[in-house]
Amino acid sequence: MVKLFGTRKETPRLKRLRDVSLFQALSLRELAIVDGLMHQRTYQADEVVFDEGEAGQAIYIVLEGSVLLCRSGQGTEGHIADVGPGAFFGDMALLDNLPRAAQARATTPSELAVYFREDFLALMETHARIASKIALQLALQMARRLRSQTEREPAIRLLQ
Amino acid sequence: MTTTASSSRNQELQASGPLIWTAIIGITCLLLFLFQKILWLVVPAMLGLILYYVLFPAVNWLVYRGTSREGAAGFVMLSFLIFLAVWILAVAPWIATHIADWQAVVTRYLDGGLHLLTRSLRRLERSSSMLREAHLAATVSERLQQGSGSLTQHLEPILIGIMAWTPSLLLAPFLAFFFLRDGNRFKAFLGDAVPNAFFERSLYLLHGVDRTLRAYFQGLIKLTVLDTLTLAAGLWMLSIPGPLVLGLICAVLAWIPYVGSILGGLLVVLVAATDFPGDASMAYWAIGLFIVVRLLDDFLYMPLTIGKSLHMHPLITVLMIFVGGAVAGITGLMLVLPLLGVVMVVGETIGAIVTDERLMARHRHARALRRAAASQDLHS
Repeated sequence: MVKLFGTRKETPRLKRLRDVSLFQALSLRELAIVDGLMHQRTYQADEVVFDEGEAGQAIYIVLEGSVLLCRSGQGTEGHIADVGPGAFFGDMALLDNLPRAAQARATTPSELAVYFREDFLALMETHARIASKIALQLALQMARRLRSQTEREPAIRLLQ
Repeated sequence: MTTTASSSRNQELQASGPLIWTAIIGITCLLLFLFQKILWLVVPAMLGLILYYVLFPAVNWLVYRGTSREGAAGFVMLSFLIFLAVWILAVAPWIATHIADWQAVVTRYLDGGLHLLTRSLRRLERSSSMLREAHLAATVSERLQQGSGSLTQHLEPILIGIMAWTPSLLLAPFLAFFFLRDGNRFKAFLGDAVPNAFFERSLYLLHGVDRTLRAYFQGLIKLTVLDTLTLAAGLWMLSIPGPLVLGLICAVLAWIPYVGSILGGLLVVLVAATDFPGDASMAYWAIGLFIVVRLLDDFLYMPLTIGKSLHMHPLITVLMIFVGGAVAGITGLMLVLPLLGVVMVVGETIGAIVTDERLMARHRHARALRRAAASQDLHS
């Protein structure tokens, strides 16, 4: 019984996931549960991760390499952001499965962890505490993004 | 959430043309035909799946409280087996004392049913001269007497069949344990085999299959409990003996679409006619109760439990039940709906992937990149 409820060892993979802001509020045990739901993918440089307008089903976390978020077919002018290790993108898909707002393309050989929307919804049913911690981090990230956008575009500030 | 899910589903349905639907129905029929040939594996696998979906919440609960998935699966399965063993040990003495009477009980209830039928036909003869001249009651009674004689002769092969099936059925908890322990790993393994371009869409497929099966089997268990309780309450009010056991047998028989319900109804009527031989109205009350429960089942319980889980058009459902029966008999009747549900999700998603030019182009591009990366340092 002691072994059944024993403490968990922090593996290198869990350590990397702990550095991701989305999961920073999770305990080791909770992180291991989330890790069990994630998939790992490798991408070549210049490989498309997802397209603008595609139905979004998952959030992507960069474990290694970097990913460019851009407007499809607009070259360097369409550049939105570069995402590096520890950061995540495609997070709106966790809340709805509306079309992706931008294209994601690996700029170097990259290793991504993929967390699927259906798994997040199931987590809300089975492990509401974990799901709420992730949702809070997601909301904080979105608030930060909105704040930085309003600082850049004063017209939006007037609407708040 | 429901709206967005259904809109995405509609997009997929739009992509599924007549060709894909023909393939879905064809593959379902082919699988039913094959499954009929390997029933020794299909039946324990189905029972294992039911057990998996029933025990899954308990495993999840333990995992959340810090248990490893392996430990939780082992603990839950062991607890289930201990519970089963204790139940069998408790019931075994009762079975041993009653087993000798069972053949007599079956014969008694069959005779009771025959008497009820003969009485009803004689009443009809009294009101119709045509039926009286045809000696309907005597003819039917004679033919059924011959039939019931052969039924009692068939009891022995049925018992031998149950004994022969036992080792195969023991596979069910074994399979359920591995489904509970390695289910997530298996999903990840399947996901790894899918190219990046199709990954999100295929993962949605895997979830769709899991969701369909879970909804179907958990719904089936809930439906069985509701049917058992309703029938037991009705039979208890009619003072028919063993209401709970009878209700449970009828609810389990209802797993076979249409045929199972008729068999269950006949069973209740046989018991009512035999235990109240002088009171024909009791059999009619039992028929009335059964019809009410069927109506409740079709219009209330089914939509609440299984009904919406498979997202199928009612016409396709009914047609496929007949097709399943024609292709694989009773097995086909039982398997056709969950199987069609799974093949439908897989077929629609594959159809959506192979007809998406952009996804195919991305896949070709990714393959070219991988080939280039693999041969990068080969050129001097």
